[in-house]
Amino acid sequence: MIEVRDLWHIYEGKKEALRGVSLTFGNEIIALVGPNGSGKTTLAKHLNGLLKPTKGEVIVDGMDTRKHSVAELARVVGYVFQNPEHMFFEENVFREVAFGPKNLGLSEEEIEERVKWALREVNLEGYEDRSPYSLSGGEKQRLAIACILAMRPKYLILDEPTTGLDEKNAESIKKIIRKLYREGHGILLITHEMDLVLELAERAVLLYQGKKVFDGDVKEFFELDLRKYDLDRPRLLTISEEIGLGFFRSVKEFVKALEMRT
Amino acid sequence: MMYTLYIERDSLLNRLDPRVKTIGSLFGIIALILFNSPILLSLLFLLIVLTLVILGKITIGEIFNVLKPLIPISIVAMIIWPFILKPWYFGLFIGFGYGIRLLSVALLTLGLIMTTPQRDLILGFIKMGMPYEIGLTLTIALRYIPTLYMLAQTIMDAQKSRGLELERGNFIQRAKNTVPILIPLIVASIKTAHELSIALESRAFGASKRRTFLHNIKMEVKDYIALGITFALFFLAVYARYFLGVGYIKLF
Repeated sequence: MIEVRDLWHIYEGKKEALRGVSLTFGNEIIALVGPNGSGKTTLAKHLNGLLKPTKGEVIVDGMDTRKHSVAELARVVGYVFQNPEHMFFEENVFREVAFGPKNLGLSEEEIEERVKWALREVNLEGYEDRSPYSLSGGEKQRLAIACILAMRPKYLILDEPTTGLDEKNAESIKKIIRKLYREGHGILLITHEMDLVLELAERAVLLYQGKKVFDGDVKEFFELDLRKYDLDRPRLLTISEEIGLGFFRSVKEFVKALEMRT
Repeated sequence: MMYTLYIERDSLLNRLDPRVKTIGSLFGIIALILFNSPILLSLLFLLIVLTLVILGKITIGEIFNVLKPLIPISIVAMIIWPFILKPWYFGLFIGFGYGIRLLSVALLTLGLIMTTPQRDLILGFIKMGMPYEIGLTLTIALRYIPTLYMLAQTIMDAQKSRGLELERGNFIQRAKNTVPILIPLIVASIKTAHELSIALESRAFGASKRRTFLHNIKMEVKDYIALGITFALFFLAVYARYFLGVGYIKLF
């Protein structure tokens, strides 16, 4: 369980980025949404201790983030950054994924076993000897997830995991996220893409100007007037509402309902 | 985070043409090298400080702040002299002069940067004959310092999230710890540079030999007066040193 209690964060010499946010989450897929500068990334960086609270506290499975290093928290909270290339530095995929477990001080066999497992989770088996930089955009994103997974964190933070990917690659990332959730991970998605929220998340948390303005079921979330927060409503919902069919999570479901009706 | 030393202030030094200021700093540095008398060097140092404070509206505190990192070096320069020159107090006296000279040279350069926006400074260099390409390279380099700094921060955060502990271990271990930061940083920098060159070319950079400038600088009456004063002071210094023999102590 990750507990955020009345969290404030003020960057040096700047105005408040977070103003009293409280949040609790466990094994669920939760979408953290909000316009640029609303404090999403600032909040997420508190969850694995990259940032320390100016006021308030963050407790990760009983650990106060102020008293534990990022390296210690990394065993529990994995953070996949937006641009995978910002983390690749090894000559091949195997070593790249092994970097995290090595930092945790695991044995050779344990590391090898974890790397194999992580690559399997993201469908990158057979890529061990490739250079991380030689992979395609979608593969890079999957490799970034594997690098974090290999540390076996209970919670995963994914920053814009499908941005810039084509439909097919985005789809495979979504599949991976669903699988990881079923396997017991708590997943926090930071995203602008409302389609992704609609399809994957059970719960949405909306930040606006450093404050939490909504926290609840995704269905209710899409009943809000999102334009007020510079966010778009998914096309799918607009269309299905227009023809009076109600709430759908994916195009597939929508089409099925449409076929039933005709 | 401070990326530039320039201080926006409405002062005479700020309004002066960058070319005059550059020439002034250069002449000042040459004059400082002419003399080695600690008394005269102290007076020159005081003159530079007073110029910056009175004409540049820069506070003593701001001057101290930019000089602070150089104080250890100037102290080293000072304490080395007693080992070379005997008796030791004479060496220390001369060393003091050298320490002050070092700070003065630094302050002249820093003063120029503190009172001139980067853009004007580089434009001044170009107008004085520096090739435009080099000017642009300089501008871009300065422009990308904050960008690269932010990028390095992001990369550090990403690697810390993978359990990298930068402060851990001995000297060699720490040097090794920078590899996961440096490689992504270098790769991203090269990519950015490549994209930038494409962007420049697609905007027809280099299509015409003669360039015009959107933002131009012009010498005004006050600039000519200041230039005149600069030259007069410089020749006074040369005259004093070589014809009157003032301010130079023969050491060996």
